[in-house]
Amino acid sequence: MSADNDTKELGHEEFDPIGTLVLIGIYFLILVGMWIFTYFIEFLGNGPTVIG
Amino acid sequence: MNIHTYEKIWLIGALALIVGFIATVTYGAAGAGVAMVDASGGTIDANAVTDDEDFGEPRVEQVGENEYDVYVIAQQFIFRPDTIVVPANSTVTFHVTSIDVIHGFQVVGTNVNTMVVPGQVAEITVEFDEPKEYGILCNEYCGQGHHDMEGKLNVVPEDEYGGESE
Repeated sequence: MSADNDTKELGHEEFDPIGTLVLIGIYFLILVGMWIFTYFIEFLGNGPTVIG
Repeated sequence: MNIHTYEKIWLIGALALIVGFIATVTYGAAGAGVAMVDASGGTIDANAVTDDEDFGEPRVEQVGENEYDVYVIAQQFIFRPDTIVVPANSTVTFHVTSIDVIHGFQVVGTNVNTMVVPGQVAEITVEFDEPKEYGILCNEYCGQGHHDMEGKLNVVPEDEYGGESE
């Protein structure tokens, strides 16, 4: 096996880390879901609330 | 500058998240009417709370058709009055102050929660729609009896309300 076979040139958009994108997408959805739960259900849903 | 498509996606996503956080908090304040505890209650001489015309007799006082003022003294290790009774479908303003150390005043399981600082009056307004029995807790460590410091808040049906408070 020569050194030439181990090296591959990639263009900018050819680099395609789809796994990373999916992983970040999952993290993002978890974050949004937890925010919705924390704010709208835990906080706003826990009435009565201070209004003044 | 050449930014990779995926990188653009998560840059925009991160910005949208921040905008979303701020938008929901803005909605809470402007739409849902959630208020923060502020300094509107003013100050009081912590050594002369019992001489104050409002706090001299901690009580529930009707101030409007469905509006009530509640004056509460927090002290080691009780709340006065111990049991607060208000009717349902009412707007209740709690005025809470301390005569000794820092206490907390929390209606358990709700967002009704404030620090009680000696020399300051914590003023919070709450709407009670349904009859329900709540506990009140001190949630600031205030001494060796802190864990026993509790009160009751009874929101009773309107026709059962007689203005009593113990």
